[in-house]
Amino acid sequence: MAISRRRALKSLGAAAAAPLFDARHFSLQAGGLDPVVLAAIAGVVLPAEADRPVAVAAFMRWIADYREGADTDHGYGNTRVRNTGPSPARDYPAQLMALDAAARAVGAADFAAAGVEPRRAIVEAAIVAANIERLPARPNGAHIAADLMGHYFNSPAASDLCYRAAIGRDACRGLTGSENKPAPQPAGIAPR
Amino acid sequence: MTIHETGVCIIGGGISAAMLAEKLSELKPGVAITIVDAGRTIFDFENRGRYRQRSLDYGENAWPGDFIEDQAGAGIISRTMAVGGSALHWGGVTNRFSEEDLTLRSRYGLAVDWPLAWSDLERHYCEAERRLGVSGEPSPHAEDKRSEPYPMAPMPLSYNLAVLKAWADRSGIPFHGTPQAKNTRPYGGRAACLRCNTCEICPTGARYSPDFTFKTLLTAGKITLHEQTLVRRLVASSDRKRIVSAAAVSRQSGEAVEYRAGTFVLAAGYAWSPHLLLLSGVANSSGLVGRYMNGHAFVGTQIELDATLFPGMNEQHSLISRQYFRCATDVPFMRHDLRVWESSAGRDPRLKDGEGRLLTGDALMKDWRDRTVRGAARVRAYYDVHPAAASALTLDASKKNRWGDPLPAIRHVLDDASTSRAAATRAHIVNIFKRLAKANNGRVLNVSDGSYLDHPAGGCRMGNDPAASVCDSHGRTHDHENLFVSGAATLPTGGCTNATLTFVALTLRGAAAIAATA
Repeated sequence: MAISRRRALKSLGAAAAAPLFDARHFSLQAGGLDPVVLAAIAGVVLPAEADRPVAVAAFMRWIADYREGADTDHGYGNTRVRNTGPSPARDYPAQLMALDAAARAVGAADFAAAGVEPRRAIVEAAIVAANIERLPARPNGAHIAADLMGHYFNSPAASDLCYRAAIGRDACRGLTGSENKPAPQPAGIAPR
Repeated sequence: MTIHETGVCIIGGGISAAMLAEKLSELKPGVAITIVDAGRTIFDFENRGRYRQRSLDYGENAWPGDFIEDQAGAGIISRTMAVGGSALHWGGVTNRFSEEDLTLRSRYGLAVDWPLAWSDLERHYCEAERRLGVSGEPSPHAEDKRSEPYPMAPMPLSYNLAVLKAWADRSGIPFHGTPQAKNTRPYGGRAACLRCNTCEICPTGARYSPDFTFKTLLTAGKITLHEQTLVRRLVASSDRKRIVSAAAVSRQSGEAVEYRAGTFVLAAGYAWSPHLLLLSGVANSSGLVGRYMNGHAFVGTQIELDATLFPGMNEQHSLISRQYFRCATDVPFMRHDLRVWESSAGRDPRLKDGEGRLLTGDALMKDWRDRTVRGAARVRAYYDVHPAAASALTLDASKKNRWGDPLPAIRHVLDDASTSRAAATRAHIVNIFKRLAKANNGRVLNVSDGSYLDHPAGGCRMGNDPAASVCDSHGRTHDHENLFVSGAATLPTGGCTNATLTFVALTLRGAAAIAATA
């Protein structure tokens, strides 16, 4: 089923006006995101050669362990404390509802049930509609799809996949062998 | 009010205090040493791995609780205020200054000479390197001759750095690995580096931080450490020749605390040492407390080059060139270091391609991979600038802590000579960036100027003339025979490379004079 980004955008606009809250996909108190929906998003925003289930699980773990109001890192010269903001997950329910509504508008039962190309068009339209210009360094709630992408593509696993090398950035690897080129690594490893 | 009597009262608990306490306990075993710090202890080494992970994953503070909300000044003042100070999260770089730093006036007619000989400082550099545990390789320049080898073998150059060294050497400028206070083997009771890539929170303890020294001294019963205790005033005797007490307050209970000691040492860094002297109205017959605040200016760049690199192998390690530490006396003055790091600039994953098209999934990965065919280097130069007397830390009456004490404000001002040569220095450095790029079909991606002076120091500058300085070369204040200043605050000028090793070397040099009074 083909769907243009323009049509997907229209569908998202209609969904934004929808008053219903579909709690199937999300419960902040339960710390839960529906892995099926996330897998459906991952299927179109993460590379095929990535270990998508592991990436989704890592993202869900990140969301569940997020702490609001924590002191943030600082370097020399900073004279004021900054804190982490509200959980980006607070913004996800409405975004997931809009994805479902957009999918229904093109004849699918919901977003997860839609085919790959409609899902890609819907997600890309949502990212455009959210005016997201860059991959977030960390999930920020602007859109769940961009957050999942940022979380994965900024991970050491994605870096290893990109370079097809076992760099292991941020792992405590020891000094021995560091003078050698990293071992070739054709497949990705699980992100943190 | 609680009164504590001690032999030596060290105010401030950073790297200078740790090194001084360790050496004093050796020079004067049995003398009572009390260290007072406004911050709290974060000695839970067992939690560092967890703090590190939260920092990596969420950007959380890797040193939780290292800030005192109402004790933050304006200007370039490090936020860290915990026992251990900025050296809790420093990068561990331990470059030495050079002889030129000590002889700026006599060689070049600039700034001032330091009141000590290079050979004297060099001896204490060696001691500082031993105590901190420094790994390094000798500089290729004869002028950088050392009287002792580094305590530890150098950190191996990662594959990336080896490639970058070959690249940089082609420019004709010699580079070598930057010396660091990081263990390349177990040393000083701490583990060897595991290349975790997060030196600001070293989970193994391979990178030196003062908490290790304090814990060792506490366990041996050689020091007393009072955390969360803010010293608010130093009180002089009626004839003003001596300091008789330090008035403090417990930040936990609000109770007044008084310290009486034979010797007082201010080791609270470039901000809080002059701040306390100004609050107390002591040691300032010269009018120079809080003056000549210094540091070094910097210019940086990212250079794309013909080489496949693998960012993340050891991002904290770097190359250094000391080629431009020296300057002939018959050419315009200009001194700077050069550092090279691996970089991923321009090679990070991106959401939109160069034409603004949205990228997802495989397309995003392909775009990213295509851009990693060529590598990138980060290059930076710290260059020598000198402070004007107006480069000052002052008391800001509009901002006070909860006890009503005005907080510091720092405003750096360069002297006229530094200002007038700034453009030429920058042009010279940018030309070097281009020379490095050209050496391997590279391209300068950008040039950025520092907006502040790094590794700030000064405020209690040392000198032989009591009218032109606050303390002598050992840190003893000209006005009070039993009051010393140690570390960063005593530097007359800020050099052109990382300064922490110099802070420590000067502190260790002053320890004998302090011990003699204790």
